[in-house]
Amino acid sequence: MTVTIAHYLVLAAILFSIAVAGIFINRKNMLLLLMCIELMLLAVNFNFIAFSRMLGDTLGQIFVFFILTVAAAEAAIGLAILVVLFRNRRSINVDALDSLKG
Amino acid sequence: MVTTVLFYAFAAILLVAALGVITARNPVHSVLFLVFAFLQSAVLWLLLEAEFLAITLVVVYVGAVMVLFLFVVMMLNINVEELRSGFTRYLPLGIGVALVVVIEIANVIWFRSEGQAFVTPTPHAADYSNTKELGGVLYTEHVFALEIAAMLLLLAIVAAITLTMRTRHRPGLKVQDVPAQVAVRAEDRIRVVKVGPVKE
Amino acid sequence: MIDYALAAPEIFMTAAICVVLIVDVFLRQEKRWITYTLSMFALVGAAVVSLLFGTDSVATTFSGSYVADPAGNALKLFAYVIVALVFLYSRDYLERNGLYKGEFFVLGLFGLLGLMILVSGNNLLVLYLGLELQALSLYALVAFNRDSAAAAESAMKYFVLGSIASGMLLYGISILYGIAGTIELGPLAAALTEPGGLTVPAIVGLAFVIVGVAFKFGAVPFHMWIPDVYQGAPTPIALYVGSAPKIAAFALAWRVLVEGLGPLHVDWQGMLVILCVLSLVLGNFLAIVQTNFKRMLGYSTISHVGFILMGFIAGTENGVRDAMFYTIVYVLMATAAFGMIILLSRRGFEAESLDDFKGLNQRSPWFAFVMLLIMFSMTGVPPLVGFYAKLVVLQSVIEAGLVWLAALGVVAAVVGAFYYLRIVWYMYFAEAKDSSPLVAATDLRTAISVNGLSLLALGLFPGYLLNLCASVLG
Repeated sequence: MTVTIAHYLVLAAILFSIAVAGIFINRKNMLLLLMCIELMLLAVNFNFIAFSRMLGDTLGQIFVFFILTVAAAEAAIGLAILVVLFRNRRSINVDALDSLKG
Repeated sequence: MVTTVLFYAFAAILLVAALGVITARNPVHSVLFLVFAFLQSAVLWLLLEAEFLAITLVVVYVGAVMVLFLFVVMMLNINVEELRSGFTRYLPLGIGVALVVVIEIANVIWFRSEGQAFVTPTPHAADYSNTKELGGVLYTEHVFALEIAAMLLLLAIVAAITLTMRTRHRPGLKVQDVPAQVAVRAEDRIRVVKVGPVKE
Repeated sequence: MIDYALAAPEIFMTAAICVVLIVDVFLRQEKRWITYTLSMFALVGAAVVSLLFGTDSVATTFSGSYVADPAGNALKLFAYVIVALVFLYSRDYLERNGLYKGEFFVLGLFGLLGLMILVSGNNLLVLYLGLELQALSLYALVAFNRDSAAAAESAMKYFVLGSIASGMLLYGISILYGIAGTIELGPLAAALTEPGGLTVPAIVGLAFVIVGVAFKFGAVPFHMWIPDVYQGAPTPIALYVGSAPKIAAFALAWRVLVEGLGPLHVDWQGMLVILCVLSLVLGNFLAIVQTNFKRMLGYSTISHVGFILMGFIAGTENGVRDAMFYTIVYVLMATAAFGMIILLSRRGFEAESLDDFKGLNQRSPWFAFVMLLIMFSMTGVPPLVGFYAKLVVLQSVIEAGLVWLAALGVVAAVVGAFYYLRIVWYMYFAEAKDSSPLVAATDLRTAISVNGLSLLALGLFPGYLLNLCASVLG
């Protein structure tokens, strides 16, 4: 019953699929979509750290370090766009965002 | 044995928190569930001997990025009921997609490759420093990536300011002019007027 | 020992961005032309640096995370030209519509820097960071007009879809890292060729990577952002999004799929065939029903992406060359087409409806002719260069034994002819709605004329560009 790297990989896979499910379920709510993307990146980070442990090199951890940086920048820009959207429309519901269709 | 118990306990809480993120009715609750999920992940990363990243996740990510999320959620004052419409409509589709993804990946990782790979290495010695190890390669081997990350953060600053900062010269917008307030003198504000006696 | 000279273009561009950013802060609105001029000088300077420090051989530096090779150098030089054209076309429009701000140029240069890093990235980490640097600047640019609800809406869609795609890409990269134990492209390819390797997990990783690449290209079914962004964003930004990032998409596919995952060619070939067929069919048929010219260009982009993917599908050296040739030609055509919209627009009026092209011949015979060249080239009419671009990719898939795909490509091109030639018909045989003469600055007129004529010139001598592509790819 020892915990192997495969346990962590499956945990990451479940986390990833929860994020994907969240994207499908909440596809009208921009804010929750941003959070689902954060969950997705968390699953990716799990994968990298588990592999890094398995392979015994630091490369995976370095990668996670950069993913955290990019995710922070991404969150800042995503929330800025969200604020612009809210100021223009008074809503962040994608249902209202159908002026561009066709 | 202890690590096994810890792994299952924290993994279970992590998954519950992740489910909470995508199902909570209130966006504020979702953000808090996400914070919770990050905290559980930090513990699991400690079990994987990634100490530096575990600390970074709590201090930088939960401490800064999640607070930014919370801040925006509070600021936007979102109509909760409106957001939840259509939730149940997409629920079966979401669950279906998630099951497919998890079965595919677990199949690949677990059944096709067990024994072949994914061995657990022996733990590091007590005097091993994860931070030192990372620092050693971060500023040498990966210095190019580090510089790009610096530019990325600069870009994030420029972009966020460009998008959200309102110019102060819109007509009708009242703003404080601190230097002018400090430099004001009594004679600018009060005009002593000599008023002669007036007869009705 | 780090050889900084190899990365000189990136280092120069980083410094130039900082200079433009700081100078712009201290400028008044009426002095904004200084930012524009400085940005142009930054592009010229980068071109000079690229030419001076360009190598004829392949060399890596920064512990193998950066590679300098002739193909990368050529792509960068082409990108400078395109970004300079974008800035030149945009200046007039931005000034007229109150968007003439320094941040446009700064964000544009940031996007270019991301492209340069992507072109020269030699490991998956650097490629990912370059991709994000470009993508983040594009998201911000699309939302640049803060008072436009449509722009904010399309930026939000673009952002969410892009972030999901990059999450998928990362998941794929993490699996590849776990299997191969490396993220450097050369060793990755070597690890994947080893017999007894974990091929099944590798294919799962590959599938996730393909999602990222397909999104960057805008191939169906990851195309949803393209029409929305093209229509929703201000025209100069649609011009930027529609041109330079295609070079980045080509570079990403070339580095990751061909150089890194080359041993899995058989597996990704099948996935690309599906993307290619869907793009050709959906892109062309949806383009026909559009009445908005920008949206139509969006769908036509999707069908052109199908042709670019054909080069990769072939997988041969010639195939990659043809994909590069098609990418360059497409970017030139797209730049010219968006330039024409800007040329026809006036203050507060966007010439984005198809009707706005009616009777262009009466208003300006010369620009009607330039537009004719652009549309003929997009259709693939000889002797314009678009014809040769289509010809070479079709040849490469035939050589790879996929005759049915080539046949589908020909059908798609014929269907495409309908909506391109409809515009030519409108220009020459329909009555103009307003017959006012065109108002545009001289530099804009000259640049668009040169841009349009280059399609003819390259079409008359296609061998030159094709040989150039072949020689730089080595």
